[in-house]
Amino acid sequence: MKATNQQVLLHKLLLEGASAKRMWAALIAMGIGLALLLMAILIWWNFNELLRGRVSDDSLGSSFLTVSRKVTNENMGHPEQTVFSNSDLEDFRKAPQVEDVGKLQSLKPRAYMSMQIAPGAGFSTVMILEAVPDRFMDKRPAEWEWLAGKPSVPIILSSSFLSLYNYAFAPGQGLPQLSEETIKALPFRLEIGEGNGTATYTAHVVGFSDRITSVLVPESFIEYSNGQAAANQPVSRLILKVKDPSATQLNEFLESHNYVTNSEMQRWSKLRSIVQVTAGITGGLALVLLGVSLLVFVLFIELTVSRARQSVQLLQEIGYAPSSLRKFLYKNFLPLLGLSIAVAAILAILSQIIAHVKGSSSGLHFALIPGWPMWVALIFVCGLLLYQMKSAIGKSLSGR
Amino acid sequence: MAQTLSLSLQGLIPIPLRERLQSRESEIWLQDIHWTAPAQIFLQAPSGTGKTTLVHILYGLRNDYEGQVHWGSGEIRKMDPEQLATFRQQELSVIFQDLRLFPSLTAWENLEIKRMLTNTISEEELRSWMDRLGIADRSEQAAATLSYGEQQRVAILRALLQPFSWLLMDEPFSHLDAHNTELAAQLILEVVTRNQAAFLLLDLDDNRHFNYTQKQIL
Repeated sequence: MKATNQQVLLHKLLLEGASAKRMWAALIAMGIGLALLLMAILIWWNFNELLRGRVSDDSLGSSFLTVSRKVTNENMGHPEQTVFSNSDLEDFRKAPQVEDVGKLQSLKPRAYMSMQIAPGAGFSTVMILEAVPDRFMDKRPAEWEWLAGKPSVPIILSSSFLSLYNYAFAPGQGLPQLSEETIKALPFRLEIGEGNGTATYTAHVVGFSDRITSVLVPESFIEYSNGQAAANQPVSRLILKVKDPSATQLNEFLESHNYVTNSEMQRWSKLRSIVQVTAGITGGLALVLLGVSLLVFVLFIELTVSRARQSVQLLQEIGYAPSSLRKFLYKNFLPLLGLSIAVAAILAILSQIIAHVKGSSSGLHFALIPGWPMWVALIFVCGLLLYQMKSAIGKSLSGR
Repeated sequence: MAQTLSLSLQGLIPIPLRERLQSRESEIWLQDIHWTAPAQIFLQAPSGTGKTTLVHILYGLRNDYEGQVHWGSGEIRKMDPEQLATFRQQELSVIFQDLRLFPSLTAWENLEIKRMLTNTISEEELRSWMDRLGIADRSEQAAATLSYGEQQRVAILRALLQPFSWLLMDEPFSHLDAHNTELAAQLILEVVTRNQAAFLLLDLDDNRHFNYTQKQIL
């Protein structure tokens, strides 16, 4: 009762002359400014996460590059000139932006895949099978295991091969289009080698990869089938994990060594530049809005206290300590500031959740919870706003 | 109560009034004085002798003076705003000549805002004091609309709503008739005695409102 009355009287003396409209305008503008700033940071962060492949399911695959030597008229007949030596691998490990290097091993014996749809009807084809170390895989289904002697071999197919079949090949040949589920359900016969040494397996497609344009089998299967002699053979394709596929130094390194890579990555790099510029402009505007609204809020506090100057002075003359008046003003302004910050943070978190939900339906996997840059920015801005509010109250009360 | 709190003045003279005050005899200005509680001191101060200035200096409202003012062992000029606030809440109370009420608050609110600061006087006691001074029926009236006499009684009550060792009074009865002055003086004496406190009353003319222990000329 006592505290309430005292608060009511102090409110009457110190805050009654305050313009509510001006205060709410400043707080709303501050909320919008902060929300925009946090969202700009989230846009930047989400896109970076996609490009750098930090999201567990790296849908864009943009941080992985497959590299090979360029086939030219000069080296055309000399396959030994288009392979990578161990020293080349070392060079790659030291190259700018490169975080990891793996060999794309191909199956040396002939591979023949067939499927019998009905007695006397079916298809068969010669296959190219490759393997990469598991750490480079974007999808690793539970069945992605192969041990010597196992009759069934899992296969991961490039998503683009399925698209090519469904949209370019099947319609022209009068063949049915196939869904991912249907393909996964089909058993294939896989023959490795020729003549008496032929080994026969049952192959199953267990997944589709956006990252690697190839037909992949487990590394253990390739090593087993290639035999001991082929274990240390040089490879002609490498897979790189890079920090930034669009980095100039990396491109210069690749060009200077006459290496070729999947140039599709450039598209993402350009898109990233656009996203970064957009996020930058939004962030810049948000900072301006935040700055102006902070200024209005600080001026509002100063004006309010300045209007109540006589009361402030008289309160101190009858024994009110400046610290107790400061506390009273903090208590009144802090919830308003907190509300503005909370609304902005909720809006930013909601936008991330919406991006997560909408992204999943279009194959882009955004995190559900905003990443650390947003939290750091939020904490920093909270600190800045609190400091400015305290400093404005302190200055106004001391009449400076 | 800290009834032993003393007040010492050493060579005190307000800078803006120095020339004027130096040209006349004074028992206070430029003197070394030491008063100890519980004393009841009257300073007779004709117009223009710096009466209100002295009250403001003693209360820590102005620092434009030469010399020193010590409350106990502490020099008032060296107190920071927080220390000054605590000192004003616990040791030193004042009745300003210009009353200094919050014009937008009612008489009751003007008293409550002070009472709730230390909560040493109950709401009931305050009501009874208002009744004794004849302003109970003015409780809900805005201070700005009260007569000077009513405002002065509110200002007197406000000064009594806290613990204190010293009470400074600057022409405390200037707007009151003889009857109301007597009622107010009686209440002041009661509270001063209860607090075992001292007071310093400054007025233009000699008077018999209290049995002063000392009378001096400013």
